[in-house]
Amino acid sequence: MKALVIDDSRTMRRIVARALEGLGFETLQAEHGRDALDQLEGGAEIDLACVDWNMPVMDGLTFVTEVRANPAWRGITLMMVTTEAEHSQIVRALAAGAHEYLIKPFTTDAIRDKLDLLGLVPVEEMA
Amino acid sequence: MTATVEHDQVLSIAQEVFSAMVDGDLGLLLPWEGDLPEIDDALVAWVDLHGEWSGRAVLVTAGPTALELARVLLDLDPRDEVSPDDLVDALGEIANVVGGNLKSLLPTPGTLGLPHVGDALPPLDGAVRSQHLPLSWRGRLLVIDVWVTPLVLKEKP
Repeated sequence: MKALVIDDSRTMRRIVARALEGLGFETLQAEHGRDALDQLEGGAEIDLACVDWNMPVMDGLTFVTEVRANPAWRGITLMMVTTEAEHSQIVRALAAGAHEYLIKPFTTDAIRDKLDLLGLVPVEEMA
Repeated sequence: MTATVEHDQVLSIAQEVFSAMVDGDLGLLLPWEGDLPEIDDALVAWVDLHGEWSGRAVLVTAGPTALELARVLLDLDPRDEVSPDDLVDALGEIANVVGGNLKSLLPTPGTLGLPHVGDALPPLDGAVRSQHLPLSWRGRLLVIDVWVTPLVLKEKP
């Protein structure tokens, strides 16, 4: 499976990518929502996008809305990975089409648990 | 819930951030004990919070400590060089996550600015420091401060 990690912090991109790769994912990275959309429009095929909320150029909520508006991308699972922990923000993200919500800071176990809920943990990892 | 955040809440957030993102275990970020040394060659990372509750979360540490922190965060070998961009990004992201978690404690919704890193903290109009936490990370001094604006102070019971 392939995941796109979208975060303006290269540190956080590396942390999330490292956790996902440990779970068997191949990863791509994008610096903001527009960068991620460009990659998808360029033909990148992904199963999962881990999306930060606060980013320059295009924020995560706008990215989620754009992805959900395109039927070609309806198979992509969207997980917000963000410091935005207020209930109202979580509701907004889920209403926009995000499937799951992970609040920073997180552990690798927390990512695995969320992906497990989404049915995205690779079989060899679950065994 | 008061209009300002409490010392123990800030400490708890800082310890959770370092546990989850940096150390992978509890107990490596502790309150500083003893006299406070001067922080030479300081690096400052901060993020502003906007809304009815406005303020700033600040992380201050010495350059060598910041380098070590970035090295651990990025999972680099002790011999690997940390680029200036990686150093700024790593320190800024810690301030960002601390600030974001502080925001979640506030009684009213607000927004979080993007993180900044520099060698000095720019002024925040009329703000005063409401929390000052000298901490020991692996024996190295690291300070987390919370600044609040006059509006917040006026509202405090």
